[in-house]
Order: sequence, then C-alpha cells, then structure tokens
Amino acid sequence: MVSLDQLKEEVKKALSSGKVKYFIGYENIGSGWQVRPAFIRQPEDVDRLVWTPACFHNLVRFLHDEKRRRAREKNPDIRPVGLVVKGCDSRSINVLLQEKYIERNDVYIIGVSCELTGVINITKLNQHLNGLKPQKVLFGSKGTFKVIVDDREIEIEAPDILADRCLECPANFPVIADVILGEEIKRNPGNRYQSISAYEKMALDERWSFWQQQFSRCLRCYACRSVCPMCYCDECVADSIAYAVTAETTADEKAQKTRWVERNPELSENIFYHLVRAIHLAGRCVDCGECERVCPVEIPLRLLNKKMEKEAKELFGYEVGFDPAQPPLIACFRDNDPQDFIR
Amino acid sequence: MAAEFEPRIVAFLCKWCSSAGADLAGVSRMEYPPNVIPIQVMCSGSVSPLYVFSALSHGADGVLVSGCHPGDCHYIKGNYYARRRLALVKKLLEYIGLEPQRFQMSWVSATEGVKFSQLIYDLVKELKPLGPQTKFRRNY
Ligand code: SF4
Ligand code: SF4
Repeated sequence: MVSLDQLKEEVKKALSSGKVKYFIGYENIGSGWQVRPAFIRQPEDVDRLVWTPACFHNLVRFLHDEKRRRAREKNPDIRPVGLVVKGCDSRSINVLLQEKYIERNDVYIIGVSCELTGVINITKLNQHLNGLKPQKVLFGSKGTFKVIVDDREIEIEAPDILADRCLECPANFPVIADVILGEEIKRNPGNRYQSISAYEKMALDERWSFWQQQFSRCLRCYACRSVCPMCYCDECVADSIAYAVTAETTADEKAQKTRWVERNPELSENIFYHLVRAIHLAGRCVDCGECERVCPVEIPLRLLNKKMEKEAKELFGYEVGFDPAQPPLIACFRDNDPQDFIR
Repeated sequence: MAAEFEPRIVAFLCKWCSSAGADLAGVSRMEYPPNVIPIQVMCSGSVSPLYVFSALSHGADGVLVSGCHPGDCHYIKGNYYARRRLALVKKLLEYIGLEPQRFQMSWVSATEGVKFSQLIYDLVKELKPLGPQTKFRRNY
C-alpha cells in the first residue's frame, strides 16, 4: 500500500530542504471525494495532499507551463518542480526527456505504484453504485476499491470500475522516479489492445460510419490538446488561430501562414484535426487517457491512440515511454522496416 | 449517358527518382492516363502526413507518394523515414474507414519510366470502381 503519511513526509522533506521550487500533487475538492491538482509551496501545506483512486490527472502537463514561465522570466528560479506520478505519467516524463523538451533535473519525481489497482472511471463507478452518491473512494486491500456510501462501506473489485487505460496498462508502476512509494506489483494487463480489436474487425464501411458519427460531434474545444502531456507546441498546425505571433510578426507573415485546417467544426475539418492529432501522437502517446476523460462530448480518443501504439509495436517493435535514451519513433528506422504495402 | 468517372490522383514525386521516372515516361512518349496530378517534392521523406490529409480534404480520389528505392535516396535516408511515417498514415486512414486503394506508396527510379506508366494504369483501374472520394472532402 502507498502510505499517504510517507508521501507527505517526502514532499515536506523536498520542500523544506529547498530542493524543489514547488510541488504538484492532488487534493480533495471541498469535502467530497473528487480530487484536483494541488500546488504545494510551503512545507506546512503538505496536509492538503491526498492519494486516492480519483487521482487520474496526469500532472506532467504542468511542466509545459513551467518551461514557458522560465523562458519569460529574467532570473528564473531553476530548481526542479516536484510531481507525484503514476506509471503512465512517468512514461510521459520519459517521452519529454527523449524529445529533450525537459532535462532530468527540471523535475523531482515521487512515483506511486498503482499496485493491484489503478484509477477509477467515474462513469463506471456511478453505474456500479446505481444512483447512490459516494462520500469517499479509497483503495481497499488486495486489488479492491473501498467506497463509502451512506456511511456504509462497499468493497468493489478493481476491474469493475477501473479506467479503461488501467485495464490495458503495460506497466502500473513508475519507470522513472527519484522516490518510489508502494510495491512494484505487476497487474496482468491481459490483452493490451483489447479495446480496439472490435473496431479493427469491423467492415470498412462500418468503421467509417462509426468514426463519422464520432468526429461529427467534435466541438473543436481542444480540451484534448490542452490536457495532453505531449502537446507542448507553441504553434499547432491543426489550429489556424494558434499561430505564435510576436511584436515583430508582420501582417504579411500572418497572411502567408498555411491554414491546413479551417476553424469551423465541420466534419471534414474535424477529421483533419483528429488525423493530425493521432499521427502527431504516434509513438509519443503513453495512453494516460486524459484526452478521452476530458472530452465534453465523449469522443473515444483512446481508440485512435491505441491503434497507433499497436502499429508502432507491431510494425517497428517500438514501445513508448520506457527508455528516455531511444530515438523517437519517426526519427529513426530499421533497414528491414515492413514495406509490403509499397509498390 | 453519364461520362465514365475519372479519378483524380495527386502524386507526390521525389525530385531525384520518381519525378525523373515520370519524365522519362513522358520523353519516351509512353502513354498513360491523364488522371494524375504530379507534385514534385525534394524527397519522399519531406512528405508530411499533412500533405496527404490535405490532398484528401481538397477532394483527391487517390494519393500517391513515390520515392527512390531503398538505398538509392539522394539524401541517403529520406525514403526510409518516409516508409515508416507513411506506413502509420496508411494504417490510420484505413482504420478510420478510407479505402486502402486511395493511399498508395511506390518506389520508382529515374530509369523506371515503364514502371511509372504501368503504375498509373493500375491505380486508375483500381480507383474507378470506388467512385469519387467524398469521405474526407471539404464540402461547404
Ligand atoms: S475531441 Fe473532444 S476534447 Fe477534443 S476538441 Fe473535440 S470535443 Fe474537444
Ligand atoms: S494523447 Fe491522450 S492518452 Fe495520449 S498522452 Fe496525450 S492525453 Fe495522454
């Protein structure tokens, strides 16, 4: 079991020794069971921290803000930022290191092992509770969750309410960390590509009608991009209003920018956006599932990410996020990469 | 009677091999269907997935990317990068539900005028029965 006291102790140590600039973990929202990211700046604030099955947010995303802040400031405080990371989150740190977006000493990592469980999916929890309102959602013993409802304690088997990404997680403990809490118990992920197999088997037209329906609902709110630890570009090719403009940018330069995708959420533009998103995350997405979780219209983005992850593995033997020293997927090749599709 | 459907194929041809191959087909007066719109690029490795998506969204019925044979790239490795990147693009497009015939890759060297003209014959033959590509087309 990950001990919350130990977590607080580690954070307190890091803050009071001045080793980290500030620390990002999780705290409860009000008195409820849901959590949000917590920015801890003072050692005495560590009591706000929690570690529960509702800590699904990937905090690595906040490193982008920190990097931008540093670039803006005259004399930036260059001490590392402290983060609590799960297995999936730790893999996204590896990808950022691999792409040299950050340096290893920009971040101080406290890794927590998910052990036999992981994080929950709120929809699944609500379905399971059938209308009852949870007061607390906690880790149980031996691969269960403990949910307190009406002052009663309900034990739920992990797979019943685990987030889909956890069910297919290739490593449920941190692969890079300064301190690891909890035990490295490997939960058997079964078939890692289970969720996409039904879609792969569909006939072409069935697949098209499925995706057409999904993409036509996209609002292009870009929440999926905002939350992604890998989407750190200052300019997004898939979004014509996100061009970086400085005082020196001339009107002519602005006019000359290629607009690959138009702004309006028409089906053709939505498809373009999603194709670009999927391909730009191929070999980089660590399946932290955040994009799918935040989508207001529930577009199954993981099905796209997972497909790319599977092809990278099957065609090129490439695993995402385990080795910060390996070259990125599309920045390398092997002489014998498959080419049976080439005429 | 309605005219037979003629597919429009956007072909990204690398300057050093495939473009020269297409040229050879031309100067040798080989015949091939006029359905292809060639776009010369410096290297198949410079073909961004965005080019492919963009061609489809502008209404191409088929897209071809062609470069030098492995080992022959003018820039040594460009076609190896293209092969890897565009394999992923192809898988993605088919997963979304685009007919596999609509996105193709080939290796055509500067001496393969015959191969190029045959390739275009074949592509046109495969694309005709599919009709116009409307799935990704911008239509507003
Ligand atoms: S997929 Fe969802 S989160 Fe992403 S832009 Fe569309 S509506 Fe927003
Ligand atoms: S694409 Fe989605 S699942 Fe993948 S790293 Fe980004 S937020 Fe996480």
